[in-house]
Amino acid sequence: MINEDKVILMTKLASYEQREGKRFNAVAGYFRTDYISSQLMRSFIAGTLAFLAIIGVFLFYNFEVIMEDIYNTDLLSFGKKVAYIYLICMGVYLLFSYILAIYRYNKARGSIRSYYANLKKLEKY
Amino acid sequence: MSNFILTRELIKRIYSKHEAYINPILKFILALVLLSVINSRIGYMERLDSAVIVLVAALLCSFLPMQVMAIIAGLFMLLHMYALAPECAIVVGVLFFLMFILYVRLVPKETIVVLITPILFMLKIPYVMPIAMGLLGVPASVVTVSFGIVIAYFLTYIQNNASSLSSYEDAGMISRIRLVVDGLLGNKAMFATIVVFAIVLILVYVIRRRQIDYAWTIAVITGGVAELVLLFITELTVGLDFSIIGMMFGCILSVLIGLFLQLFAFHVDYKRTENVQFEDDEYYYYVKAVPKVTVAASEKKVKRVQPSQSKQAQHKSRPAGAGSASSKASSAERSVRTLHTANGTSRTLK
Repeated sequence: MINEDKVILMTKLASYEQREGKRFNAVAGYFRTDYISSQLMRSFIAGTLAFLAIIGVFLFYNFEVIMEDIYNTDLLSFGKKVAYIYLICMGVYLLFSYILAIYRYNKARGSIRSYYANLKKLEKY
Repeated sequence: MSNFILTRELIKRIYSKHEAYINPILKFILALVLLSVINSRIGYMERLDSAVIVLVAALLCSFLPMQVMAIIAGLFMLLHMYALAPECAIVVGVLFFLMFILYVRLVPKETIVVLITPILFMLKIPYVMPIAMGLLGVPASVVTVSFGIVIAYFLTYIQNNASSLSSYEDAGMISRIRLVVDGLLGNKAMFATIVVFAIVLILVYVIRRRQIDYAWTIAVITGGVAELVLLFITELTVGLDFSIIGMMFGCILSVLIGLFLQLFAFHVDYKRTENVQFEDDEYYYYVKAVPKVTVAASEKKVKRVQPSQSKQAQHKSRPAGAGSASSKASSAERSVRTLHTANGTSRTLK
């Protein structure tokens, strides 16, 4: 005899596993610090690559001016300026990534917790 | 209003039943429109500018995730740019790379916004975007809408300057890159549009989140008015490419679309039909779970309000049969229909 309540619960769980469960499980499988640090690491690499791309376009754009003034330019102070801009941009971007990572982790943990609660309910049948 | 709600329920029911077919069809149409727009505006590579390739690519997009559609649209644009001038392709490539690596990678859900915004620009109704995203999105949607605006303006710039870009052939790579970057960064109208849209989006978002009656309606109308005023000021100061009459009609249309959108998005949980398989110790289950629709036409309640007791007493004191026809008529006049809607509100129809 099929237990209807059990089927409903199992359907809900299976549907969750098919959709949000996959995504949330991948997040909640990590420890909190591991997840956040891995996200920050990715953002750091992405941000650095983006910054290099912008610098590349800037150099191309000002190529003639730079080549003309290269002997008169204080390369050290120019380098420092670029480094400051890089640090500020990365700081803002990493802060944004950090907040996003914390939000996503907490959401995933909450969701997975209620999934486990439903699994426990299923065990009673 | 009641008809709108019933229509919404009908659409919801049809969508939840046939979601498996409707989604690919919608994606196919979106991809078809997007790629056709790209080809019609910057179709410099003749091989790509063919209906067969657009159809095949759109068909591919209909089965794959939205991000793939964005990648295919980006590739189309890059290849057309390459055919016009390789330097253009470099600048566009860097732009796309930055968009993807900095933001779209983190919020892949909003890829569709980047795709739709240029289409709305082409249809001359970009004004709907900040209102729609204020209703449906979050404040961070400003970033995706801005990306869409950048792409739309860039397409227009390339279209308008194609001849000068191709005539720059002898000037060298760096000069052409400068021309393209100048066109992108020196476009004041683009930055002004980004600022106006960002303000309107956040305004609509803040108002619709307020716990006040008719928050969504107030948000849409305020957003529309604010957008019109801001665009008008920007037109006078910076000089946008929009015509004033077009702007007014566009803003009115945006408010109407916003109000229409409200009907379909406010307090509605679009559940889908689920096809799941699982097993326990005794059975294998192949379940198709179809969501229940909360309000149907049959749930309309007709409530008759009886005349007050004193009038009933008067009625009783009259001789039997006298004036029965007139009292029936007056009670029919006073009869009131109350319609209970999905939002928990009730509407009285006299």
